[in-house]
Amino acid sequence: MNILKDVLSELLSMFVADARLTTAILTTVAAAALLIAVPGVPPLAGGAVLLLGSVAVLFRSVGREAARRRLEHGPEPRPGSLAR
Amino acid sequence: MLDWSTAGPAVGAAFLASVVEVVEAFTIVLVVATLRGWKPAILGSAAALLVLAAIVAILGPLLDRVPLNLLQLVIGVLLLLFGIGWLRKASLRAGGVIPLHDENAIFTTETAELGTEVQRHRTSQDWIAGIAAFKAVLLEGLEVIFIVIAVGAGRGMLWPASLGALAACALVLVAGAIAHRPLARVPENTLKFAVGVMLSAFGVFWTGEGLGVEWPGSDLALFVFAALFLAAGLSAAGMVRQPIEEATP
Repeated sequence: MNILKDVLSELLSMFVADARLTTAILTTVAAAALLIAVPGVPPLAGGAVLLLGSVAVLFRSVGREAARRRLEHGPEPRPGSLAR
Repeated sequence: MLDWSTAGPAVGAAFLASVVEVVEAFTIVLVVATLRGWKPAILGSAAALLVLAAIVAILGPLLDRVPLNLLQLVIGVLLLLFGIGWLRKASLRAGGVIPLHDENAIFTTETAELGTEVQRHRTSQDWIAGIAAFKAVLLEGLEVIFIVIAVGAGRGMLWPASLGALAACALVLVAGAIAHRPLARVPENTLKFAVGVMLSAFGVFWTGEGLGVEWPGSDLALFVFAALFLAAGLSAAGMVRQPIEEATP
């Protein structure tokens, strides 16, 4: 049962490692889908929202996580320092 | 005839992602082999490979029954979740915010943990060691299967992607057999960065196609997306690295 639990939790963590990141990505996809569904709007506009929105989500998420870690842990390890 | 503008990124992504996953699994299998010998390591790994083969055998035919647009949309969204997650972690590591992955450190930690676990269960030491190998190969293998399906299924590229993954397994196993120690010199974060870029690009591509977007340049759009995510990942790493350098006298 432990193995099954570990497998399920690993599968979940593959896609939902960070709830905020997951929500932001799903919101971006939903926004693109809604835009594509609007009559008269070219589907490529939805594609642009999807692409640029995903890039924006990445930026925001990296910035937020870095700020959070600074608050929680103080000075970060130097680049090149090693740990698990 | 294989179209390399589509097959190239699929094979490349499957190969690189599999190198990362197989290196991680290999470290644990090596821990088991070092502590309890190769028998439980090989038996545990073989059992996991059998389970993975069964999963592929069940999932493969099911994929053919799913409408292509739905398949592209579902896989695209999952790829976005997975790919941007990897890219975020790789950017944070490249920016020095989180430490780099170190196979030697993991080998030492896992050896200590498994050693303690084995000591506590004197009657079934090989069994516990075998289970550790089984879990490592199964968990990392599941990620490889997902990536192969994700980058291959949308355009009928499952076989080329699978061959990319198999080539990675063979490469890591040969390198591991020669080195006979954790493959700590594999530039894991660089690989993870590259894979995150490619999976994110595939994610946008498939999700868009699933929603009905016809990308300009068709499959070539993947390269543009990959370039954009690469630039974004590097910029994000630079953005979070700067404050550390400023803080250092």
